[in-house]
Amino acid sequence: MKVKRVNHAKAAEEFLEDAPHLTFHDERLWDMRQKRDQQMHILPEWQDLRSRASEIKEHTLANLPEYLEQFEANAKKNGIHVHWAADAAEHNRIVGEILERHGSKSLIKSKSMVTEECDMRSYLEPRGVTVTETDLGERIQQLDGQMPSHIVVPAVHKLVPDVAKIFAKNYNTDPNDNSPQSLAEAQRMAARPVILAADAGMTGGNFLVAETGTFVVCTNEGNADLSSTVPNLHIATLGIERIVPRMADMGVFIRLLSRSALGSPITQYTTHFRGPQKGGEMHVILVDNGRSARLGMEEFWTSLKCIRCGACMNTCPVYRRSGGLSYGAVYSGPIGAIIDPTFNERKYSALPFASTMNGSCTNVCPVKINIHEQLYKWRRVLAEHHELPFVKREIMHMAGRLMGQPTLYRTAINGTEVALSTLPRFVLYNWLNPWGKHRELPHPVKQTFHSWYKENRLKKGKAQ
Amino acid sequence: MSSRDKVLATLRANRPDPAAHPLPPVAVLGDMDKGRERFENALQLLGGQILLRQEGDTLATAIARRFPDAKIICSAVPDFEGTLRIEDVASPQQAAATDVLVVRSPFGIAEMGSIFLSEAQLNSLNSAAHLTQHIVVILSEDNLTANMHTAYLERPEFHTANYGVLMTGPSATADIQGVLIRGAQGVRTLSVWWE
Repeated sequence: MKVKRVNHAKAAEEFLEDAPHLTFHDERLWDMRQKRDQQMHILPEWQDLRSRASEIKEHTLANLPEYLEQFEANAKKNGIHVHWAADAAEHNRIVGEILERHGSKSLIKSKSMVTEECDMRSYLEPRGVTVTETDLGERIQQLDGQMPSHIVVPAVHKLVPDVAKIFAKNYNTDPNDNSPQSLAEAQRMAARPVILAADAGMTGGNFLVAETGTFVVCTNEGNADLSSTVPNLHIATLGIERIVPRMADMGVFIRLLSRSALGSPITQYTTHFRGPQKGGEMHVILVDNGRSARLGMEEFWTSLKCIRCGACMNTCPVYRRSGGLSYGAVYSGPIGAIIDPTFNERKYSALPFASTMNGSCTNVCPVKINIHEQLYKWRRVLAEHHELPFVKREIMHMAGRLMGQPTLYRTAINGTEVALSTLPRFVLYNWLNPWGKHRELPHPVKQTFHSWYKENRLKKGKAQ
Repeated sequence: MSSRDKVLATLRANRPDPAAHPLPPVAVLGDMDKGRERFENALQLLGGQILLRQEGDTLATAIARRFPDAKIICSAVPDFEGTLRIEDVASPQQAAATDVLVVRSPFGIAEMGSIFLSEAQLNSLNSAAHLTQHIVVILSEDNLTANMHTAYLERPEFHTANYGVLMTGPSATADIQGVLIRGAQGVRTLSVWWE
């Protein structure tokens, strides 16, 4: 069966039609970007921190097998059970087996992009395990049957009335409740009994520390701490690239992470797990799921430096105006557009084109991933692998011919100017012209630069 | 071949040249001020509070004034009575009945306004720090460290504690239309009492 391409532009169109949601989404994310900038300006050492973070990550990736072995040895010494999952299926099987061994039917969990990647909930639920997301945004998404639309703020595309409707259906609250405070309180009240009765807890993790066998989890709600300290069984799942060599390296990353993500100096909770709590049992699953293969991609391996802060999403004009769900993938935004094709080249072939190439993503990245350059490189790879959709391929082909021949190009440009100034709207704004969708075409200029130059400079130059 | 060995083998075959990516020395950057004022400003920025000490106040009178409705005040420190000793809480779940938890933190971080807690301060009942409605943290000015770099370098707890949490203010969320709400799922308030 042929995998269907995600049609980002088409999905974005639906998002663009809803003005209140679009405006809020755009402004909220831009506000996060501005708060990030304020934090950056407070710290004169900001650029040093970025360089150091990038160097540490590149070093760690080049020595990944050794650091993972070191982590494993130390974690085992501290009483943690360490598992390795080559892919999503193995990850889900491991989790399922641990839960089955303990007879656990109720699992509370904090947000984890890896479990999203593995689509874990839909594996566990038919096996009789009730999975409850404890992060507020992630819970909203779970109740609404949607993927997270942002890696840090999963329900950022929703407004208060959307949440009120979802909670009314699931928590019997007032469907017209327009207070975020009382809705958040409803979540707290609904979550508490589930947390207290849970058989097992699960968290993701932001960092692994090789030196001590520690994993570090950052949240603002404290829901990862509730999920891990209330039940006596704690399963943590992390991508193998999340590792740093030394505990002292954490200083660099903690100082960058929340400042880049939300523009707050630190998350309200930064938790270091080095071993099971008294009377408890702890498991860590190290997940590959395509990462070891990505390490071998010369032009793309540095995407593994990502610490999942979401700064590239907040700054991206395309992401802000198309919404995370339009990417049709677990990872959206600029970082998603460069890592999703490593999971499935054909399915995600449209995503590297969801960029204006402005380079802002690269400039805000705390670990200095050259995101916009990788977007460009992906376009080339996808063209070489014949993964471009027909229209895009044909347009590129025509543009290539046009731009390769100056005379033809100039005739076409003159023609365009005439068309823009003389053709009626219905001819310019229709389905044949994607540039006329959701935007006004540029005003026609009286004269092209080329003809102006020929008339003025070229003649004068000759006269001198 | 096990998945472990398969993953490690692929990583060895695919990795970039280690010689081209040396490990940089440990970074110690930024402001080295470890003063109380810096800590308090950072703490308040993230919604944490300083428990007010009025003339003649003890911790008990200050708590009584701050939390007049509290019924169960659980103490995890030897020098404060409370209504319940943490040693008498039988299970992680039972800590949910607590209105106020009083605990002593071994150190704070001036840059962030963070306080540290581990099983050593919580009598191994880690859930108590999160299920209680409010938390009061006793902290000494002498135990402040300047920033995240100095904290990770100087504090032995990061190498010894099984569970170590840096709490910076109360639980918070902005997941509903970007509105900041303090007291989301964990503690509703966090107050620091200087000793």
